[in-house]
Amino acid sequence: MTLKKRKGLVPALAIGVTVVLAATGCSAGANGGSSTTSGGTITIGVLATSQGNLAFGMDEAKAAIGVAMQAIGGTVDGGVINGKTVKIVYAGTDGTSGTAQTQVKKLVENDGVNIVFGPVSGDEGEAVVQYALTVPEVTFVNGSASPVGMTLAGATNFFRFHGDSAMWMGGLGKYAYDVKKYKKIYSIAEDYSFPYDNAGGFFSGFCAAGGKVSGNSWVPVGTTDYATVISQIPAGTDAVYVGLGGADAASFLSQAVTSGVHLPLVGGSIAVDTTALAGDANIASAAIGTITGGPVPGAGYTNPKWQPFVDAYVKQPKAFPSPSIFSILYYNSFESLILGLQQSKGDLSNKQGALRDALGSLQWDSPTGHISMDKNRQAIVDNFLIQVVKGTDGKLKQENISSATGVTQGTKVYDRFTGCP
Amino acid sequence: MTKLVEFTRTRRSGLSRYIWILWIAALGAAIVFPFVVDRPRFWLPNIGVRSLWLGIIAMSLVFLNRYIGLLSLAQATIAGISAYGVGYMMVTRGQGFFVAVPVGILAGTLAGFLVALIAARTKAIYFLMITLALGQVFYSYASQAIEVTNARRGLAPIIKPNLGFIDLGTITSFYYFALALAVICYLLCRFVAATTFGLALQGIRDSPERMSALGYKINRYRIAAITFAAFIASIGGVVLVFDRAQVDPNVVSLGSTLDILVVAVIGGIGSLGGVFIGAIIVTMLDNFAQDFTDRYMTLTGIVFIIVLLFAPAGIGGIGKQARRVIDRRRKDTTPAVMESPQQEPSAALPTDEAITKGKQQ
Repeated sequence: MTLKKRKGLVPALAIGVTVVLAATGCSAGANGGSSTTSGGTITIGVLATSQGNLAFGMDEAKAAIGVAMQAIGGTVDGGVINGKTVKIVYAGTDGTSGTAQTQVKKLVENDGVNIVFGPVSGDEGEAVVQYALTVPEVTFVNGSASPVGMTLAGATNFFRFHGDSAMWMGGLGKYAYDVKKYKKIYSIAEDYSFPYDNAGGFFSGFCAAGGKVSGNSWVPVGTTDYATVISQIPAGTDAVYVGLGGADAASFLSQAVTSGVHLPLVGGSIAVDTTALAGDANIASAAIGTITGGPVPGAGYTNPKWQPFVDAYVKQPKAFPSPSIFSILYYNSFESLILGLQQSKGDLSNKQGALRDALGSLQWDSPTGHISMDKNRQAIVDNFLIQVVKGTDGKLKQENISSATGVTQGTKVYDRFTGCP
Repeated sequence: MTKLVEFTRTRRSGLSRYIWILWIAALGAAIVFPFVVDRPRFWLPNIGVRSLWLGIIAMSLVFLNRYIGLLSLAQATIAGISAYGVGYMMVTRGQGFFVAVPVGILAGTLAGFLVALIAARTKAIYFLMITLALGQVFYSYASQAIEVTNARRGLAPIIKPNLGFIDLGTITSFYYFALALAVICYLLCRFVAATTFGLALQGIRDSPERMSALGYKINRYRIAAITFAAFIASIGGVVLVFDRAQVDPNVVSLGSTLDILVVAVIGGIGSLGGVFIGAIIVTMLDNFAQDFTDRYMTLTGIVFIIVLLFAPAGIGGIGKQARRVIDRRRKDTTPAVMESPQQEPSAALPTDEAITKGKQQ
């Protein structure tokens, strides 16, 4: 038996003390850690995902910011607004709340940014809003995070210039009942907060129009076997709501076909993505005719500001062939911030009061429709109703079937529900 | 031989004094830390407090590994359960600090006890895998148990309270609160290791069969050790939850588990104090690696690999490693009289060596 001695601690402690003392003296922040403008410079700290499942988020954020800044003669690293130099610094995350907390604190406390712009994911968004409550001197403009509760948390320094995940279903419930004549819908959705809000948004509209829910199945993320769920769909159901995403949605579509389910589908905002559209013939045939809602317009959208935005977007480095949901939301949000800075003449004095007044009352016509703000600093926006159709080339595509204008946020944060929410 | 023993004794007693001086210096540096950094609002929460709770949780892992030879991947989960306990009591039940914290620590410690009941009969890779699996079970539960954990949204806000004699809402006070807990946890680990219980644990680590033959109920000792380590991890969880002001499934995710393991390995998988060095390095990388490269996770990985390559026992083992090299050189230059033909049978490998040689218990 050996009793261990603390032999290795001598150098460990020495190195540790040295590292701490050396590091604390060698990482001066951009503005010395203060949240005031230095020499007329406005520093914007951008949070976006650069690791993990949403690693492309940073490239999309930079593409969106690039479009907005180039329009005023700037670059992704900054420019000049009303004579004030704007400097943009970036912090990458992995989409989790822990990293978002670390990086947003670094942006504010170490880099001394005046404005935080971001984040991407809902988990990050919930954490950033909680942090925003503790630093009232900094203004926060959301990137693409969509939980309903973010603008209901009472952070008066937090602004969101796009719809939440319940608003993304705005108008679809009424459309399903009135136009598609679905009277009873069965709900299958993943069991976490995003599908709660997304399904809640759809079914609140559907039930208000007179529709009924014939059953709910909440399945864990990553479920691959939907046989038992499919067998629970009662007779007399007119359609199935699919609140699944990625591979889960593809698995469900495939099994629905092999199980002989021929009911029409209503998709959540992430159900009908490239995974489903590019799937095998069975999946494709099941997906045709699916209606869904979201902030991204489909083919046939005629807003005159849309195509110039798409043209500017595709010229950005590392841009996708067409804008993703992230680049669209980041663009609308960043352009709103620029407009707010222009209207307030870059005045960040008096606890950024002029900027916040400008942001809170902002109205403008974005590439995806008119944006205005409600009293909770949450945008009132247009929402798009989409249908999956087969194109002339035989490939599936999403076509715009309708728009819901002036979609406002509800006051309910949805949880798992049975029947109507 | 006598000369060698005298030389070794002299050297070790000198080293002992040196260690205490360094310990006081390190503690002094930690105490003056809030006053020497230029931006306390960044340095105290992002580096100071985070390093402390990462270190406390990693210390519970190192305690198990060092004194009983079990590598547990459930420590982050246990800390998370403690954090959930505090969050549930404060957010859902509206209780105060003095109710929530004991409940949190009790929940974490009880969870550790249950993990021990399941896992104590296994060892080595099987223990590691079963603790990892139990951690993932709880992650799935936390992600979906909306009534208890509020699923992915988590529980927030968890406000640092003003306790009257200390206002934890002040970042400096909270830093000292976390520092005091870290020092207490360290001393507690050292104390427990020095008791007859701790000696028995080390005996079980080195030769469970021999200890069993001597009449020790080795599984009971293992369960007690794992429960004690869970108590330490739970204290880390309390600091964590007040630092983050919220608790969500990310706290008990695989990523968080690996963070604790990386901290322990970089600091020294056999060094109770070294974990804090590992924690400081990891938090510094988390915060500043992006200033050097967009591929900051790769940089963290490279640092990890470099440490494993050149200091297999972690930063905390560098001293011993260097001394081995010096001893070897000295032996090469010392006359043959220093060599003893009759050597005592070597004891089992120290844990950190055993880990690197794949022979841990």
